[in-house]
Amino acid sequence: MKRFWNVFSLVLLVTLLLTSSTMAANEVIIGSPADARTLFAMKFIDLATHDPISNIYDPLITRDRDTMEYIGHLAKGWEVLDDLTWEFYLHEGIKFHNGAPFNAEAVKFTIDYINDPENEMAYRGRYSPIHTVEIIDDYTVRFHTSEPMPILLDRLTSCYILEPGYVREVGEEYASLNPIGTGPYKFTRWAQGQEIVMERFEDYWLGTPEVERVVFRPIPEFSTRVAALLVGEIHVIRDVPGHMVDRVNSGRRTEVRGIPSSRVNYIALVNFQEGPLQSKEVRQAFNYAVNVPELIEFVLDGSGTQMAGCLSVLNPDHDPSLEPYPFDPEKAVQLIRDAGYEPSELKLTLDSPDGRYPQDREVAMAIADQLGEIGIDVSVRVNEWGTHLDRIINRNTGEMFLLGWGPAFNAQGTIESLMSTERTYSGFGLPWLDEMIADAVGLVDPDEMREAWDEIQQIVYDEAPWIFLWQQHDLWGVNVDLDWTPRADERVLGFEMRWND
Amino acid sequence: MQRYLIKRIFQMLIVVFLALTAVFFMQFLAGDPVILLLPMDATYEEIAEMRQRLGFEDSIFVQYFRFVSRALRGDFGQSLRHPQTAVQLVFSRIPATLELALIAVVVSLLVAIPIGVLSAAFRGSWFDQIAIVITVFGQAVPGFWLGIMLILFFAVTLEWLPTGGRGELNNLILPIITLTAFYAARFARMTRSTVLDVLNTDYIRTARAKGLTERRILYKHALRNASISIITLLGLQLGQLLGGAVVTETVFYWPGLGRLLVQSLLNRDFPVVFTGVFFIAVVHASLNLVVDLVYLLVDPRISYD
Amino acid sequence: MPMIWWLRKLIQSPTGLIGFIIILTVIFSSVFAPFIVPFDPNQADRPNRLRPPGTPGHIFGTDQQGRDLFSRVLFGSRISIFVGLVTVIIAGTIGTVVGLFSGYFGHWLDSVIMRLVDVWLSFPFILLALIINAILGMGLRNVVITLIITGWVIFARLVRGEVLALKNRDYILAAKALGQSELKIIFFHILPNVFTPIIIISSLQISQIIIAEATISFLGFGVQPPTAAWGNMLSDGRNFLFNAWWMATFPGLALAFTALGLNLFGDWLRDTLDPKITK
Repeated sequence: MKRFWNVFSLVLLVTLLLTSSTMAANEVIIGSPADARTLFAMKFIDLATHDPISNIYDPLITRDRDTMEYIGHLAKGWEVLDDLTWEFYLHEGIKFHNGAPFNAEAVKFTIDYINDPENEMAYRGRYSPIHTVEIIDDYTVRFHTSEPMPILLDRLTSCYILEPGYVREVGEEYASLNPIGTGPYKFTRWAQGQEIVMERFEDYWLGTPEVERVVFRPIPEFSTRVAALLVGEIHVIRDVPGHMVDRVNSGRRTEVRGIPSSRVNYIALVNFQEGPLQSKEVRQAFNYAVNVPELIEFVLDGSGTQMAGCLSVLNPDHDPSLEPYPFDPEKAVQLIRDAGYEPSELKLTLDSPDGRYPQDREVAMAIADQLGEIGIDVSVRVNEWGTHLDRIINRNTGEMFLLGWGPAFNAQGTIESLMSTERTYSGFGLPWLDEMIADAVGLVDPDEMREAWDEIQQIVYDEAPWIFLWQQHDLWGVNVDLDWTPRADERVLGFEMRWND
Repeated sequence: MQRYLIKRIFQMLIVVFLALTAVFFMQFLAGDPVILLLPMDATYEEIAEMRQRLGFEDSIFVQYFRFVSRALRGDFGQSLRHPQTAVQLVFSRIPATLELALIAVVVSLLVAIPIGVLSAAFRGSWFDQIAIVITVFGQAVPGFWLGIMLILFFAVTLEWLPTGGRGELNNLILPIITLTAFYAARFARMTRSTVLDVLNTDYIRTARAKGLTERRILYKHALRNASISIITLLGLQLGQLLGGAVVTETVFYWPGLGRLLVQSLLNRDFPVVFTGVFFIAVVHASLNLVVDLVYLLVDPRISYD
Repeated sequence: MPMIWWLRKLIQSPTGLIGFIIILTVIFSSVFAPFIVPFDPNQADRPNRLRPPGTPGHIFGTDQQGRDLFSRVLFGSRISIFVGLVTVIIAGTIGTVVGLFSGYFGHWLDSVIMRLVDVWLSFPFILLALIINAILGMGLRNVVITLIITGWVIFARLVRGEVLALKNRDYILAAKALGQSELKIIFFHILPNVFTPIIIISSLQISQIIIAEATISFLGFGVQPPTAAWGNMLSDGRNFLFNAWWMATFPGLALAFTALGLNLFGDWLRDTLDPKITK
């Protein structure tokens, strides 16, 4: 018996010594709450899937990391030929990881693949206005749209190009598990639920990446993810909540790097049913009754910027003349009375998701408390995410629900999706506003667009379909020796990283 | 005996069939899976179209018939979320879960049975009192609390062990401690009580009077008679563990079946859920069969005629 | 048996006594909670959130909304104990009865019931919670329903196992030969002898049930905020274990102590009542 214990402890000790080896040189490990769904580009739209894909594939165009303006990527430039035609000029000499050339055929293949209903690509809804991709020559393509599509450029920043020969040869299922792209990192291995490993592509067209290996590691439990960061097992995590900032900053290996996000959080004030929220005064009153700066300070620990109107300051379409609603509870009460109600008559339900957005349920409860201060009875219903979405789509929510939206770099994406009568995630609709939106969507001239969307924003501000809350701050937990700053479009790209010596 | 076995295997098939049917019909109450497959700016038309394509618009019975005929061929379909078949996905997680489950059970029993027996033998002693308190706490303490506290202490503060994942021997230590704390406590408690029960019966007193040594009495007679409940418990707990220790797998990001199933449920990825239920049904039915057979070994007075 | 006899038995057993005292304390604090608590358990005080234990006024500290944890733990006992007791009593009764009949009568009844148990065990708990939530909605009553529906199985299986072992014992066969009715045999001869494992599992299960309540709250189905229950306090505290360990630890401790009390007392009860144990 004694011998057993001796041997056992010896084995344990040796194992511990062997495994506490030095970290593999020059790799960056990114911790995420969930695993990617697939590694086939354009199939699903979610963060956990997008992150690895954005390293293995390249998009057609992208945004400048500081100004967030459109700049070319695989496409070096473009020209708008007319309302319905766009021409893109592609870089030459770029190769896929398997040696195949990147050219117009790859672009056409990708778009056609997305738009083919048989393939069930989640991006199809966003690309459907493109009805033909015409190959002019190996490095020139023309997009023909069925209606004016000013949002095309925004869409193309996430248009990751597939290798046609490969996909045709191995099929989507195999390509989903063994992707080939033109990106800075080549796929190496995917142990489902454990990690996705990719190694640098020496012949990357923008130069050899500095970091040798990038790993995505799903760690669903929040505390464990932070622990792994603090210990140095991983080097980057997203979404450090406000209350953990000090802890991460005080870790000797870690610090928090923040950046304002284009993602907004809001409380939808549903006007689909008869009731007090169909009256504009009541909705405005709610905006006066909720003390947003207090919420930001005490629930988000300062990481949020109050919104003026429905678009974040980072959104190029944002109308800078708007000011946030001030906190004015007396005015709120007055407005409610003007609408013919007494605050104490109002009994409402606020639906909130749980852990989807920073401090979401805490925010919901704090807002319920604040509205309670002027006598309104709000009960919070916390939902599991699938149930929350289900309620919204089926118009089965309480009078209010909390949601977030982003990344959002244009007005159409936000306003059309969230404030039209017929849209799935909208909580609000007014027929005359629907018409205005439809008209604005069809415009192509930048000045006309600016004017139209400014006007709509003013109207939205006035109609108050939301309690306007804030734009998020993305707080990233990062290893101090990693030279990398977060981007406003939330992308985490290995190519932009290097280790300090 | 052979007839009994055949009967049981036939019943197992029925069980699996019933379990799958129950879950199948319940899925319609659990919410629309398509919503979670499409981005948030999808229109109602797009959602309807995808439902159509995935076959959700057909009548429930048509869907059920389709499901059954495929399942009989071992085809549970593609995962709605991952680019593999549901069967591939589930089976890829089984080794990890098996590893955790078997080690946890073995370690738990090794720890629990001696403690339980000694507690019963030295009833009322300080050893017994301490054992009682520890075992109660061991299975009252929430798993995630223990797991995260262990990580905080051993991984973050001392940096002796990794925070989780699966790979080397080190990775097993904290998850096994977390699981064992719970299961060993349960088994120890059950062992102690049932052994106590038996120790005081006439049967044992007769053995004592006959002059058998205390040790022999304990191990040969008392434990044997006490073991019915222990074995039942063992069967149930092993079944649970093989279905995946969800909390432990989540906290230590262990790539096991439990975590996969819970996530699939929350993501409404029903093909994976069905496959999981199938596996768990087979496991439970088999374990219950084994337990029933072991009863026969342990207590010759039991019969199933 | 006269009350004095019980009391004497209780005093003679130190562990039983401790268990009894713990239970009394828990019951007392849950009944008189509204009068004892220093703060309204649902009153948020955000500027004072996440204060550690020992902060003036807050022995257990405050949670992420600034609510006093001590008050919440006390109030939480009401709901958690209610959930735990009701579930164990109802699920235990159902399971015991099913197990008794299944084990005693054997044959096809046993087969059918045990196969049903197999099906039941294969059904994922979370799916059940999702469905009950979809059909019946949120709230305490539905949490209890969910827990009862999943909880009876362990009792059935345990009891049935014991019954199988007991039913062919001499004294049972003797009773049968004497012409006693089956029901009488089941309830007066067999049941008292399976009491032990039932009590043990009951006392063990109560804490499990409260933790299961935490799982349901974690999904967002259970007791709705801001109501305090140990289960949802545990789930709230889960993400704060790093920098506010008290949020999950104190409800956890309360849970563990309650379980301890129940176990010790349950043991004592079993010892006193068990016909087989002679002193």
